[in-house]
Amino acid sequence: MKSLGLGIALTAMAGAVGATELGAVDEPIRLAINEWTGQHVTTHVAGQMLEAAGYKVEYVTAGYMNMYQAMEDGELHAALEIWSSNVSDDYAKKVAAGGVEELGDLGLDAKEGIAYPAHVADICPGLPAWEALRDCAQQFATAETIPSGRLVDYPADWGTPGADRMTGLDLPFKAVPAGSEGALIAELRASTERKSPLLITFWQPHWAMSAYDVQFVDLPVGEDACFNDPAWGPNPNAVNDCDFAPSRIFKAGWSGMADKWPAAHEILSNYQLSVADQQPMMGAIDVDGGSVEEVVADWMAANEAKWRPVVDEALH
Amino acid sequence: MSIAEPAPVTAPWVGRLTPGTRAALITLIAGAVTLLLAPYLPWITIWPDAWTLPATQWVDTGLGLVLNLIKPAARWFSWLMEFPMTWANFALVSTPWPLVIGVVTALGWYLGGASMAALGFLGLIFVLASGYWVESMNTLALVAVSVPLAVLTGGAIGILANEVPRVKSAVQAVLDIMQTVPTFAYLTPLLLLFGFGPVVGLIASAIYAAPPMARNVILGLERVEPEIKEAAMMSGGNRLQQLFLVEIPTARLQIMVGVNQCLMAALSMVIIAAVIGGFNDIGWEVLLTMRKAQFGQALLAGLVIVVFAVVIDRMSATLATDRRRFDARVTYGILGATVIVTALSLGFLPDPATLTLLDPVADSVDSSLGDFTAANGAALNTIKNGAMFYGLLPLRIGLDEAVLPFTWGFSWTPAMSAGLFAAAALIGAVMALRGNVVGGLVVLIGAGILETGVAQMPWPFVLIAVAALGWVASGWRLAVISVLLLSTILISGLWERALLSLYLSGAAVFACAVVGGAIGLLCAVSPLAWKIMRPISDMLQTIPLFVFLIPVLMFFQIGEFSAFLAICAYAIVPMIRYTRHGLVTTPDELIEAATSSGATEWQIMRDVRAPYAAPTILLGLNQTILYAFAMLVIAALIGTTGLGQSIYLALGQADVGLGVSSGAAMAILALVADRLVQGFAEERRKALGL
Repeated sequence: MKSLGLGIALTAMAGAVGATELGAVDEPIRLAINEWTGQHVTTHVAGQMLEAAGYKVEYVTAGYMNMYQAMEDGELHAALEIWSSNVSDDYAKKVAAGGVEELGDLGLDAKEGIAYPAHVADICPGLPAWEALRDCAQQFATAETIPSGRLVDYPADWGTPGADRMTGLDLPFKAVPAGSEGALIAELRASTERKSPLLITFWQPHWAMSAYDVQFVDLPVGEDACFNDPAWGPNPNAVNDCDFAPSRIFKAGWSGMADKWPAAHEILSNYQLSVADQQPMMGAIDVDGGSVEEVVADWMAANEAKWRPVVDEALH
Repeated sequence: MSIAEPAPVTAPWVGRLTPGTRAALITLIAGAVTLLLAPYLPWITIWPDAWTLPATQWVDTGLGLVLNLIKPAARWFSWLMEFPMTWANFALVSTPWPLVIGVVTALGWYLGGASMAALGFLGLIFVLASGYWVESMNTLALVAVSVPLAVLTGGAIGILANEVPRVKSAVQAVLDIMQTVPTFAYLTPLLLLFGFGPVVGLIASAIYAAPPMARNVILGLERVEPEIKEAAMMSGGNRLQQLFLVEIPTARLQIMVGVNQCLMAALSMVIIAAVIGGFNDIGWEVLLTMRKAQFGQALLAGLVIVVFAVVIDRMSATLATDRRRFDARVTYGILGATVIVTALSLGFLPDPATLTLLDPVADSVDSSLGDFTAANGAALNTIKNGAMFYGLLPLRIGLDEAVLPFTWGFSWTPAMSAGLFAAAALIGAVMALRGNVVGGLVVLIGAGILETGVAQMPWPFVLIAVAALGWVASGWRLAVISVLLLSTILISGLWERALLSLYLSGAAVFACAVVGGAIGLLCAVSPLAWKIMRPISDMLQTIPLFVFLIPVLMFFQIGEFSAFLAICAYAIVPMIRYTRHGLVTTPDELIEAATSSGATEWQIMRDVRAPYAAPTILLGLNQTILYAFAMLVIAALIGTTGLGQSIYLALGQADVGLGVSSGAAMAILALVADRLVQGFAEERRKALGL
């Protein structure tokens, strides 16, 4: 299997030499709560780390796509799980203008790909090898895509990575953009309930990966040449004939944070969370019905070694 | 072709044509010409990029400058609005819930007696049991501030239009724009102006809720009897005194209708406010559950909003009628009992967030949705394929492209096209000979549209057809205005997407008109049917539409058919309501006259009630059109292409220019359609002497 275990090369952190000032501890640091559970977990872990350092933290619900104006205005202070595959153009604008700064990678190993619920392997027996899709395409055809197969792609504003793969690999599939994440999940759910065929662009970590037993199709491992050089890969005439470009998950914050809360800035910059830690917490919340605060507090108590050093380093 | 030189042979013939026939004839000729020329002149079908002005970029730059200019004032305003917002929030959230429930019950008694008190009490108990108490109170706080804001703004606009008649038509246009430009289109500029947080939602909902208030104030003040005005003038009051002491109190009931509509509109915007966030409200819960495709939970959260809407609607509606007084002692009794209960139970009260009494219900709704999908997969697929192959696809891309071996079982040939036109010509000729020339021509035009598909109609044909319609509906002015407005869409390069939107909402409006009209007719005949349909209509209009996207998607997957159904679910309601209303309000004299002349029940319906109800039904159609356009943006969450999708793209990318231009294009389509239908309604009303 060619699972893209991407070792995120962490750049050497700017030296944490000597104690850092806490700054304005009486004023709450406002962390963005976006629309998905994984992000809630990530944010609450960071929030509890800040509280352990002696800060006040406020969690503010914020639309993922529209929060950067608030960050520039200093009304939101940090967002801790931003996916490079789906980031508003506004982010780049605000970073260029100097109101928002990046706070480094989160260390969450993301994978995106062409995926299917496990039962689809019975309908198209060659899976997970991508070559199998060529012969099975008819199985995936629907009223909108006939005679091609149907691939449910990301919502249009996230880009068209699925459609790019299909063109690149010259597969007889037509990509249909979903309108929202809810639409993607509804497709997965309906397909699982009905045992009907489904090919979908999806990603992990996501709670639905295990809930609907979602598998990735094996695509040729991508390297730079795949995206620039048509000659590379199985299709000599096209680029993108390989797996997805690895996406990066990073943190960002209000640019005034380093001055107002120097230690908090350092904690959030050095903060890391792995899939192995995040995924079980997501399950405890979405599947077992726990509350975010409690699940995260339990994890914090059981895994002090994973986060305490980051807090201590900033304080001493 | 000059009119000044009457050709002796053709003049009497042309003179005999009615305006409708002439317009239909011109449209038919335009259609035929463009259809014949299209293969040789590609620019007839597709507006060339080279002719497109970078209007979206201009809008972006222009708006950017203006927004930065007024930003300080806007920020000051949003700082100011934070105070009432915080107070309302604090008051509602920190008040113990028995006290809130008791006060609402007492208010219910005061306004409408026992039934209203029961409604308020049970409604809030439902909210409490759902476990969304705190979120609901946050939502109420938003409504509690945005409604007074909208009432004041709307009232001021209405009074302005009344005092300065010169600006009245401009004010009407502004109100139309406020109601037709989708809120999502201007969320980005609002964020830029007012900063992050609930204040943006507050302002968005006030913008949407102010127009009904203003319209009712205008209407109410117009209807004040001249005698009353004269009396006020003679008693020597100045203009302000006349207005505030005499005219406004006289128009009280109509203004209260405005307040009621304003409340409902503000509540329907709650979900939009949640898209920005900054506020842990009930709309945010709907969005979270929608994202996980949890239908049961989303429905529960949505029903909380419906409960608020129903309680607020029924209670505020009593303000718009001259109501009788209810015993004040009972009001005080309920209040007193509430205070005692609250004081006694303070400290023992369960945290409302831990109440999850309705979760099992939500879960079972959710799992039965799954079971239903699993059990009926094949049947659902058949429905969808049938609708796509024989309805939506031909309408969008035309029979010549939609009829293929794997859809209809055979290929479309030029001979079939010829056959289609010949059949249409035959039907048209028969209709023309039987006296219905316009109908015959329309059949021919329809055949042409079916052959090419709505999304591929040549733009010169669309412009000419709209001009002809506008001319027949109300005259040259409307024709010119419609063409000018549509041309702006053409020039800004949004034409193709606009046609896609037009096709989808057109198909939905047609289906709603047929099905909704039939249901409306049924409800007019059978009181039982209306009893069943009324609460369903109420729910469809107030529940956040996001909730319905989940089952529709589960049944029919991402695609146009799902979007079509979602639009219909919302837009069908006015058609039902207005059709029924029009049919049941026929004056008794007319019916008596018909009965005494021996007409059967069915003849009365066809020959008396239906013609009399025509203007009202046309108004319902008008509302259905506006609703269908409003729903296009939400349907984009399913995955449609068209203006709705552009608005979402723009929202995600914070692209002010694209968002505002697409929003404007959508408003233009809605406005043109609105004016055309209103023109016809006006004509019918004159014909009936109303």
